[in-house]
Amino acid sequence: MRMSLLNLQRALSGVLAFTYRNYVLTKNEFYSIFEMLFWPTISLISVGLLGEFLYLEKDAVAFIIIGVITLSVIQIAQIDVTYVMLLDMWSMSLKYIIVTPAPFYRMVTGAWLFGSLRGVIALLLLILLSSWLFEFNVSLPLAAMAIFVAGILLSAMLIGIFNCILILIFGRRAEIFAWTLTAIVMLFCGIYYPVTILPEPFRTLGLLIPITHYLEYFRSFYGFQTVFPDPLLIAIAETIIYLVFLLFVAEISMLRARKTGLVLKLSG
Amino acid sequence: MVRAVECRDVWMVYRTFMEKDFVALRGVNLDIDDGVIFGLLGPNGAGKTTLISVLATILIPTRGEVRVLGMDAFKNTRKVRERINISSGVRMPWGMKVYECLRFYAMCYGITDRRVVEKVISEFELEEHRDKRFDDLSSGNKQKVNLARAFLNNPEVVFLDEPTANLDPDMAKKIREMILRIRRERDTTIILTTHNMKEAELLCERIAFIRDGRIVAEGTSEELKRYTKMSERVILRLRGKPGRLSLPYPFRLDGNSLTVIVEDAEKALPSIVIKLAEQGVFVESAKMEEITLEDVFIELAEGS
Repeated sequence: MRMSLLNLQRALSGVLAFTYRNYVLTKNEFYSIFEMLFWPTISLISVGLLGEFLYLEKDAVAFIIIGVITLSVIQIAQIDVTYVMLLDMWSMSLKYIIVTPAPFYRMVTGAWLFGSLRGVIALLLLILLSSWLFEFNVSLPLAAMAIFVAGILLSAMLIGIFNCILILIFGRRAEIFAWTLTAIVMLFCGIYYPVTILPEPFRTLGLLIPITHYLEYFRSFYGFQTVFPDPLLIAIAETIIYLVFLLFVAEISMLRARKTGLVLKLSG
Repeated sequence: MVRAVECRDVWMVYRTFMEKDFVALRGVNLDIDDGVIFGLLGPNGAGKTTLISVLATILIPTRGEVRVLGMDAFKNTRKVRERINISSGVRMPWGMKVYECLRFYAMCYGITDRRVVEKVISEFELEEHRDKRFDDLSSGNKQKVNLARAFLNNPEVVFLDEPTANLDPDMAKKIREMILRIRRERDTTIILTTHNMKEAELLCERIAFIRDGRIVAEGTSEELKRYTKMSERVILRLRGKPGRLSLPYPFRLDGNSLTVIVEDAEKALPSIVIKLAEQGVFVESAKMEEITLEDVFIELAEGS
């Protein structure tokens, strides 16, 4: 009993280590706060103003604003998860993380917790700004909103893990995906448009991404039609499947990087 | 008795995306006893860092068996990692202060007690740098932080990759003293790589020479000197600075100072002087000494 409590405490400490590191980085580096607030605000204001210029109806503006908010929150939260590999790759200290007993899933969970906090802060700011500037109202119940937020934060985790896998396979060449992958994914998820307007096979690809269904779920409260009757169920199912699959692939990629010697190359 | 490290026929081939394969280790066999300071010596690219990275479970060898503290390093990786640590280079995640770095790594090992972090800070004399950013520290202090990090989990085996590289002699001496003190206080097995022969002679109870990914000799520094069958050296001051030289013994030329490693200095000296004269090089003075580990290193590194 005492042993398992000790193990639990150790496991928790391993998770929180990465929450702590991302917190310290945010506290010490101004750009980290800038990144969290500046670009989402610029995106929201520019897209909102575009909507006004085009005399879009209130619902259409809401449709687009939901896309902006989702993209911003996912980008902020995923970068914290990607930092698990990115920070150590930049500072060439990856071997010190690898040599600790903390398994990969604990690292990403800890980083994701802090990314989620940053994501929620950005979300609240964007909702406040959009309701103030563009009369956007959050018209879904609190529980539904909580599910939506949890869903997109988990989706951010998926993107972050995917980025870590790319770094473990391609090394420094994959760095660019940390900044671009969210935008690429969002392109197929119907960021400013319904996924149905995408040509095949991109439409099918979009439907295989959980963010598409989380967006549809949110937008359904504004009266927009969904592709499937229960987008939330599909989104959650896809999220769980991808999470298990990506964590498995990440472990394999880590083993491969240790076998090929890439970890040493990324450690300077 | 459980050995700190056992290696059997360890091969490591680097296979990187779009690059040619590179064989870094070629059938390494090595046994390191518990509680010693063991030195891995070798020229650049010999495979020292690869070998300690394999032993520290960072790399998985292409072939072979590695046991650390009696456990298979790749079947019990997590258990092994709880009991070992490594310091290699002076890198830490940027943007963090000394205390924050150490706290982060302590948490990775499941250490929540902040006193452990404070203890290593004081043990490695880092109190005045506690709240400074790691990036702003001098190389010597960065090395101290790295060493402090490597002792956070109170490891039974620590791998130190060139712990005094790029440090000024004073700081290098301080780091060496620190390693000896910590080893005495904590009874840790220390496996270190170094280019500094004096350091190896001062710190290491046993030494292995590695060249082209193979262990070419292993033993105490005295055993290694005997192994090369070279026991003395002749140091000659030459008139002028000669260009290319040819001698029947291993030698190194530094300006007008020529060091020749031989079995019997008195016997070899006349033939060396004659050989030099034949090449138009004349000797101003000569002295004879016992060889150092550095001479052994040169002899082994050249593969003669």
